[in-house]
Amino acid sequence: MTSIERKIRWASILTGCGLLVQLGTFLVVSPLAFIAFLGVGCPLVIAGVLLYLISLLKGTTAE
Amino acid sequence: MPTAVIISSIAIATALALFIGVRAELTRSREGKMLAFVALLVLPVVAVWSGFNEQMDRAQTREFCLSCHVMADYGKSLLVDDPSYIPAAHFQNNRVPRDRACYACHADYSMFGTVNAKIHGLRHLAIQYFGTVPKPEDIKLYTPFNNRECLHCHLGGRKFEEQKAHQRTPDELEKIKTNQLSCTSSKCHDIIHEVGDLKDAKFWKETAASADGH
Repeated sequence: MTSIERKIRWASILTGCGLLVQLGTFLVVSPLAFIAFLGVGCPLVIAGVLLYLISLLKGTTAE
Repeated sequence: MPTAVIISSIAIATALALFIGVRAELTRSREGKMLAFVALLVLPVVAVWSGFNEQMDRAQTREFCLSCHVMADYGKSLLVDDPSYIPAAHFQNNRVPRDRACYACHADYSMFGTVNAKIHGLRHLAIQYFGTVPKPEDIKLYTPFNNRECLHCHLGGRKFEEQKAHQRTPDELEKIKTNQLSCTSSKCHDIIHEVGDLKDAKFWKETAASADGH
């Protein structure tokens, strides 16, 4: 597995976990679910997307 | 966008993102790269945006506001069988959408109203879990209730504009409209939630038929 693939794997894990948290927050209507969505789900997805973009940039530079 | 569609799109985005994680070697091919682009960038961004909008929408519901135990009495006050209770009269006569009854009157209809409300909400949440929760009757508004929140619906309404009680002096209506004379604290519409007096109150039963309107 190349380093780019490793980054993509981490990116997908972070994104997947973030989206799972977001899915979970739709089970209940409460302020805590709102905070979990914004405070946990969104940062994980954003981190995953950023890591994916970094892996794209690194891949382009390597080529 | 319907909630079911949003939840389905987030579920699909989750499955695809995790699939790419399990089969990262797929990204060696052109098709795999395109799939990863969609699964790790396009779909998550769309899912987060639509999810955020849905959460903001849910935050305006009565169910959301009353999910904190301390707010239960305020919810109960909407069912008081006495038309002099302003929130109850509005709620029971569908003057506000029932599922958004709290938000309809407590939304600050100004430029940063929603942002301010969310900041206050964060503070309330911190108090709920880490602080001392006050008694329901001790909860006070941050600032006196602004007539703007009433006028959002009533301004221009015939009953409001032509009401004799609003024209006792030549400038009374103007004072109400400019918030110099408060609707809720000028001995006019001053029976609000009164959660301290609910023990002796009679309650109206909300039926399915009566709730159908909203």
